[in-house]
Amino acid sequence: MRLSIFRFNPEKDEKPYMQDYEIAPEQTDRMLLDVLVRLKGRDDSLTFRRSCREGICGSDGMNINGRNGLACITPVKGLKEPVVLRPLPSFPVIRDLVVDMTRFFKQYHSIKPYLINNDPPPERERLQSPEDRAKLDGLYECILCACCTSQCPSSWWNPDKFVGPAGLLQAYRFIIDSRDQATQERLDDLNDAYRLFRCRTIMNCTEVCPRHLSPSRAIEKIRLMMVKDSS
Amino acid sequence: MRRTATGLRAWLVQRVTAVYMLLFIVFLLFHFLLAPPDSYEAWHGWMRNSRIAIPASVFFAALLLHAWVGLRDVLMDYVHPLAWRISALALLAFSLTAIAAWVVRILLMGTA
Amino acid sequence: MPVGALTSITHRVTGIVLAFCVPFSVYLLDLSLRGPQSFAQVVGLFDHWAFRVAVVVSVWALAHHLLAGVRHLLSDIDVGSQLHAARRSAWIVNLCGVAVALLAAGALL
Ligand code: HEM
Ligand code: SF4
Ligand code: SF4
Ligand code: FES
Repeated sequence: MRLSIFRFNPEKDEKPYMQDYEIAPEQTDRMLLDVLVRLKGRDDSLTFRRSCREGICGSDGMNINGRNGLACITPVKGLKEPVVLRPLPSFPVIRDLVVDMTRFFKQYHSIKPYLINNDPPPERERLQSPEDRAKLDGLYECILCACCTSQCPSSWWNPDKFVGPAGLLQAYRFIIDSRDQATQERLDDLNDAYRLFRCRTIMNCTEVCPRHLSPSRAIEKIRLMMVKDSS
Repeated sequence: MRRTATGLRAWLVQRVTAVYMLLFIVFLLFHFLLAPPDSYEAWHGWMRNSRIAIPASVFFAALLLHAWVGLRDVLMDYVHPLAWRISALALLAFSLTAIAAWVVRILLMGTA
Repeated sequence: MPVGALTSITHRVTGIVLAFCVPFSVYLLDLSLRGPQSFAQVVGLFDHWAFRVAVVVSVWALAHHLLAGVRHLLSDIDVGSQLHAARRSAWIVNLCGVAVALLAAGALL
């Protein structure tokens, strides 16, 4: 199997380069991450993040043949060779396939990703009907891998001002949570020219989300709530 | 909505103007396919009729508003240095206003 | 590039193209209403092949922008905003825009 991997070590390299690897496939290679781990056994300078190796932790988002995805759930079978691996586009590179997620998490925190409810907490827990709980499906599953935001043109152009698909999906997750009391504040916070309204419904986010979530649809729903709220 | 921000409002302006333009363009299309004006007199008479001139003026108003929001969006995405952005937006606003004045002269102040 | 991204960037490009068409169209509207002679002048423009090509390009731009615009408006009210449907409508918009342009080319060129 042939791979071409983005390499950059800021302590040694003046500029990034692509390194070609050739590795004989083995029975145990099911996912791309399996191959990467074996490659690292051969060349331990090769750097990437991974943890759960089953699509749950969101560590190994990377650009695989031009498309963002998680190496751990990308089957080796069917990948066009050489497999070109790059760090998440538009994110600052720390080393090789490891990117700096600071700005991404700053945008995520800016939408206050926690329940806001000023009622005194009940004895056990804040209850929710099964119907209200069902509204969170397709939203709570986000693992913050940043595959979407890194592939969103609006985020490339205004990364500091546009919240980006991942953050907006979570914004909607709290906006429609029946236990949250800050709906109005949340809507108001997003109603300026940048935070939400930079989205042009390109849908790259939904195209690449490895969890098959749909940030573009969440954004559309927030807009509709704003329209209802203003009329 | 608390804030009079340019977010939702601009977005709504773009949708409303789009729908109006869509309807008007479809109307124009049918008109020109079914009864194309074949002489100056026919064309002139049609355009001078207030039943056309007024919806046409509304069309141009919608068009210019739509173009303002749309091009403003484009500039916000690509032009980041503040001085450049403000100059570009000012130039855009000036051009659109000039076109608006021109259209008013043609459609509403034209002599019979 | 995903097909939706292509529809989207073309929507932007055609929006800009149309914006540049506006002053020219207003000029032609003005001319056409000034008198029989200038009206004939506007009609006569169609004798130039370059003008006809420009018209075909503008018709394509308008058709794509308008169809992609309708796709946007529907998606805004949650019609066809799931990935599968959105991909299909993106193809339809791209192809219909070209089809309209070909019709215009057939009629004019
Ligand atoms: C003929 C004159 C027109 C001009 C000059 C024009 C121009 C523009 C421009 C520059 C944009 C911004 C594109 C972007 O942000 O990527 C835009 C967006 C848009 N246009 Fe038009 N347009 C015209 C006609 C129409 C028509 C007839 C429709 C009807 C369906 C329409 C629907 C839209 C929509 C829905 C958007 C918003 C897209 C978004 O939010 O990303 N436009 N237009
Ligand atoms: S929405 Fe999908 S792509 Fe985006 S961060 Fe969450 S899981 Fe990753
Ligand atoms: S739909 Fe919006 S958020 Fe998603 S990629 Fe496109 S511009 Fe970005
Ligand atoms: S290693 Fe955890 S998501 Fe891939």
